[in-house]
Amino acid sequence: MSTHLEAYTNFKNITKKIRVFTLGRFLMEIDGEVVDSKLWGRDKTLQLIQFFITNRHQFGLHKEVIVDRIWDLDDDDQGNRDFKVALHGIRKVMEPNRKSRNEASYILRQGASYQLQTDDIWIDADAIDFYVKLGNQVYDSDRPLAINAYQDAIDLYKGIYLPNRLYEDWSSAERERLQIQALNTYMALGELILNENSRECIRLAQEALTIDNTWEEAYRLQMQAYINMGNRPQAIKVYNECKKVLDKEFDIAPLPQTTKVIENLISI
Amino acid sequence: MKSDNTSSFVIRFTQKIFDDAEGKANIQWRGKISHVQGGDQKSFSEFEDAIAFMQDKLSDLTKASVASKSTEEKEGLLSKSFDIWKKVAKSGPKMVMDVIKDPKGQVSQFQDQISQVGDELSQKIELDDWKMASKSDYKSMMQTMEKMAKDISKLSKKIDKLSKTK
Repeated sequence: MSTHLEAYTNFKNITKKIRVFTLGRFLMEIDGEVVDSKLWGRDKTLQLIQFFITNRHQFGLHKEVIVDRIWDLDDDDQGNRDFKVALHGIRKVMEPNRKSRNEASYILRQGASYQLQTDDIWIDADAIDFYVKLGNQVYDSDRPLAINAYQDAIDLYKGIYLPNRLYEDWSSAERERLQIQALNTYMALGELILNENSRECIRLAQEALTIDNTWEEAYRLQMQAYINMGNRPQAIKVYNECKKVLDKEFDIAPLPQTTKVIENLISI
Repeated sequence: MKSDNTSSFVIRFTQKIFDDAEGKANIQWRGKISHVQGGDQKSFSEFEDAIAFMQDKLSDLTKASVASKSTEEKEGLLSKSFDIWKKVAKSGPKMVMDVIKDPKGQVSQFQDQISQVGDELSQKIELDDWKMASKSDYKSMMQTMEKMAKDISKLSKKIDKLSKTK
């Protein structure tokens, strides 16, 4: 078994106590049981755990910074009190049986800094990163594995990151990063299966266009897939749609490589 | 309360490299700007359009904040707000394009400019450290900058005086 395949199999079989889904909705599972959304109590408690998840790769978040980003109150004391209440709420949900004298397992504190301990937490966004990275690594050397890895990543992308925090600027960077990654993954998988499964390729391109209707590669991929299937009128229709969208959104024409696909088709 | 005085924007740039009709390599930039708090977005191929989008959203923000003020005060604040945006509209596109061409160089240039300002800021600022700055750090930075602004103003007056005596 190759090292990459072994890493893929191990990752798929890994089980962790907590699983967090952030794409298209927010959901937490503890020991396989979905946490009832009512258990979070106040919305700020939920917002705080989502903030920790978003900043999971940042070492040590200062309390003042967290309070400033989530509460933005002029009264520092009030902010500190609200933070304490929300943190207590998170710990109550994630570790309901923890004795008060015992160290918390998931939200670690060091001085005035806090961090989410992710060793025993599976997060869909991290899983996507793993699959995409693996797919990219074996793109040229192990096509079947690349296809599986990209497909797993796409299966996990259920929609935008933390949709209920769409208007909170602290979540924007992660949302944008994952959206671009999803678009690129749709395209990479589409290119890999273009000649063997044109129908699925069209579906993937259409999915990408629902995320961003100006993604020109998705139109091009769809055109090539329709040509493969011998459906020339549909390929021309897609090209015209691409032309219309790019003109409306950017006031520009499609790229020469896109136009060339259709020119080659007409000249046949 | 939160976000009444804040507007955030996410700007996405996508580069397209292609051979033009004469076979020469060419590059095109396409952008999409999103207003986080309002959810609106706009595609653009000229950065001026992104500036106009931001200006529009920020004008709305200022208008909402000054709604209760007198007409005279409103006009004054909006005029000041527009003055700032005139400057941004003038220098913003060039700055963004410079950063796109040479991001590391631009950051390094900013850091060098900061380090030249005075002894207090002689150490280069690591951008990552800014993410962790607390409210009190920002307050202290603002105070230092205000003091520097006053010092520069005093210095300018002295230079004016010296120029006149010559």
